[in-house]
Amino acid sequence: MSDLTPLRDLLDHHVVGHDEVKAALLLALITREHIYVEGPPGTAKTRLAEVAAKGSELDFFFYQLHRDTRLAELVGDIVLERRKVKTEATASGTAGEAERIHQRIEPGGLLTAEVAVLDDISRAPGEALNVLLRILNERRFGAEPIPLMAAIATGNPMDDEYYNEPLDPANLDRFALQLRVSGLIQSGVDEAKTLIDRFASGSVVEQPDPEPVTDRTTLDALNRRMYEVEVGAAVRAALLDVLRTLVLEFECNETNSLLTDRTFLVKAIKILRGAALLAGRDAVNLEDLAALSWMTTFRVPPEAHEALPRIIGRVSRQVRAV
Amino acid sequence: MTRPAPDRRIADLAGAFVELRTALGRVLVGQDESATGLTLALLAEQHAYLEGPPGCGKSELAAALAALSGARTHTLVFHRDIRETDLLGDVLLSRHRHRGHERLRRELIPGPLLQAEIALLEDLPRSPGEALGPLLRILAERNALGQPLPLESAVATGPLEQVEAPIDPLEPGQLDRFAVQLRLTGLLTGGLFDEAAVLLEREAARESSRTAVQSTTGSVSAPEEATATPRAAVMSSATRKAAQRAAAALQVEPRTIDAYHRLLDRLRLRSADESASGDRLMSDRSFSSAALRLVRAHAFLRGAPAAAPRDLGAIRYMVAHRLPDEVQEDFDHILEELLGDPPNVTMTETGAQMPGAQSQGDDSDGAAAASPASDSWIDDQADLPAPPTLFGKPPPPAQVDPLLRALVGRIERGRIDPDTDPGGQPRGYRPLRDLDELIDADLIEALLFAEGRLPGAPRTFERKRKSAGGAVAVLRDISASMAGRLTVWSSQVVLGILRVAARRRMRVGYVEFHHRALPHQVGGRLLHRSYSRLAEQAGQAKAVGQTNYEAPLRTALEGLRGGSGRNRHIVLLTDGLPIIGDTTVRRERQLARRLGVALHTVFLGNGDCPPVLDDISLETGGLRFYGRPLTGGGLRLEER
Repeated sequence: MSDLTPLRDLLDHHVVGHDEVKAALLLALITREHIYVEGPPGTAKTRLAEVAAKGSELDFFFYQLHRDTRLAELVGDIVLERRKVKTEATASGTAGEAERIHQRIEPGGLLTAEVAVLDDISRAPGEALNVLLRILNERRFGAEPIPLMAAIATGNPMDDEYYNEPLDPANLDRFALQLRVSGLIQSGVDEAKTLIDRFASGSVVEQPDPEPVTDRTTLDALNRRMYEVEVGAAVRAALLDVLRTLVLEFECNETNSLLTDRTFLVKAIKILRGAALLAGRDAVNLEDLAALSWMTTFRVPPEAHEALPRIIGRVSRQVRAV
Repeated sequence: MTRPAPDRRIADLAGAFVELRTALGRVLVGQDESATGLTLALLAEQHAYLEGPPGCGKSELAAALAALSGARTHTLVFHRDIRETDLLGDVLLSRHRHRGHERLRRELIPGPLLQAEIALLEDLPRSPGEALGPLLRILAERNALGQPLPLESAVATGPLEQVEAPIDPLEPGQLDRFAVQLRLTGLLTGGLFDEAAVLLEREAARESSRTAVQSTTGSVSAPEEATATPRAAVMSSATRKAAQRAAAALQVEPRTIDAYHRLLDRLRLRSADESASGDRLMSDRSFSSAALRLVRAHAFLRGAPAAAPRDLGAIRYMVAHRLPDEVQEDFDHILEELLGDPPNVTMTETGAQMPGAQSQGDDSDGAAAASPASDSWIDDQADLPAPPTLFGKPPPPAQVDPLLRALVGRIERGRIDPDTDPGGQPRGYRPLRDLDELIDADLIEALLFAEGRLPGAPRTFERKRKSAGGAVAVLRDISASMAGRLTVWSSQVVLGILRVAARRRMRVGYVEFHHRALPHQVGGRLLHRSYSRLAEQAGQAKAVGQTNYEAPLRTALEGLRGGSGRNRHIVLLTDGLPIIGDTTVRRERQLARRLGVALHTVFLGNGDCPPVLDDISLETGGLRFYGRPLTGGGLRLEER
């Protein structure tokens, strides 16, 4: 269907289950949006991110965040440039030499990567994350644009059991796509059996190092095609109705939600286009609205997030009826 | 080329700023007020502070102002680890030989920020106070390292105060450095769905990403701006500076000054009525020179020859953090009332006139329509009250500030100093103890150290975090009598307490009660840090049942029992006498004393406060509050 089928197959080969996360990862690569995946340890979060990055032959930056995370670790080395200048003689001394010292950052890490995996993002204090996430958002550092396509962040659930810093709402908003995963074995789904069988048979390795199955050129072409996908008036009306319902019926506001204009009026259009493209269509239709629930996971109260498929269904019926 | 006539030239200058305002208004959908406020700030050479929810276009708007105005701009993104050199410039290290010994001198060379005409200060409140102090002083004095700055306006952005944001809001004194204060509203959360539809349509029409590598800045911008070409300036630097000078030289009509005095009186009175809150500020600095500069700029932009009373409308762009929310909401009404009721205008009508502006007519109000610089937006704005969304949500009917301030005071008293923590904010320096710390050391000293030219160890940041100690449990009466407005008010009290607790990383507990206690636990625990989850629950409470103090107090004390430290609080919110359980809660009072837990009581009901609440507070060193109904249906919490 789409040019990313090989990448999807690769993800399926290395990771059992987690269909939604896989689809959202592909969507992130096409739309060039960032994605945040939250779940307990050992739910293949990092593995999925790694396989996706390596499988698409992109320059890859992996960083494990920690409590003492410093800017320099993320963006490259701090360099001091020293230049000699002459000084004039003063009353207190003879003419001497002086050095002008300029501090700059030698770009590395996040600034040169195409895909960044930010592991355990919830372990770093919000104060330290702010500037990182700002770089992610603006895709430039200072005045320089950076080649980053997508950042894939992972985090542990926000419970007391994990050493966590709650993500600042403004920081969380930088990740257009947000998903929650749970372990296959813990949730007792059928795929748990497949998972164990695959490891038992040796068909899955613990440290995957896959050969690339797609590349930057393909992703760039897909990104261009994405902007050709049509977003008709009916879809826009339906999207607005869904948002209106969240605000008016579910009382989503600035206190309990992150219903930001940037995400739901600007990025949502891209996500819908990407979803249509992944489904092999050149126009967004009402079914694509389902992708909205990858945007609301941590942005609206849980009951509103859970009700989203119902809201989308109702709104779609109304729009179709008109 | 002949020099244009002065009035023509003035009109052209005003026209350039009108064009700037119009172009700026196109950058975002539905944020016209902010575009006007920023235009006035630049014209009046004042600093501006833009705040709003994430993703509403603050940075985009500020960057557009810089680009469209053609000013030399420097952008600085504030963060925890920002250093002096980022703010000020490079270091010049000089060595002088003097009578056989070497003298090292360290000086700063003014950096790009100090050479900027517009300084964009992104996320300003995210910087530690230590770094902010010197910067804000520089902004105010427009002078650094002994040199006057070319700075015209600094435009800072900051988040709305939010429950979980790990930042301390700027203090009112720091905010006062920004004469213009603008609060942006999100289209969705502000309920502006028509504007939202316009934006969706723009985005759907977008056909390409900005550049090959940049997909989008994520900001809300028009499709024509969404190309790789940056916005072109609409005026030259010379025009901008000439307009600023001309606007500053504009006369202010005597009747305007008179009206301004009366406006200040009314604002002061209304503010005193609405709130005794000390975090509002009408400083001399802002309300004398800065305010009058803005009023002049408003008149200049309108093409008027002198500042008329209606130009006092510019003051509305100053009030976001200076007046209580209720007064802000009412600002346009207050001004309209004042202007509709002038004491004696005929004498001053032809008072002060700008030289060479005779073609504009005597009546400045009437001249606006004929002036080439006039534009419908600014007349509309002077005559009509601003849309209700201008300053965000409607004012809260309950004033919880006095309670929160007292509670914060009590919490602070019980709190230990910030703990040393490697992930914390830099709060001063200490000598390096370990080579691992070099990354955090003063770079120049580290350099000298590495070369063996520093006698001691280089200094490194001493990082501290506010102690995460302490806990507060809120017990909220949801018995049937709490229905209606009391439910809304007590929700606001709970949210306020949660905000205070979140900023201090205190653990929180929330117990609703009627005849039974209904604790809201997270992970099986009463005390936790899931602030937003509780905030949500606090908004959903339904009033039902009868009142029992014993059960909730018992639940909360059990929850606090495991913890340690002095900083433990319970806030009991109720409207009536306990009917069920031990109505004297004798054992709970004893337990609270033994555990050192302060029990604060807030009585919201009509009539007399039950004496048992006084006993509870007095015995445990807690605060006592009651809700005083205000005319107009509000409520104000005052100490009993």
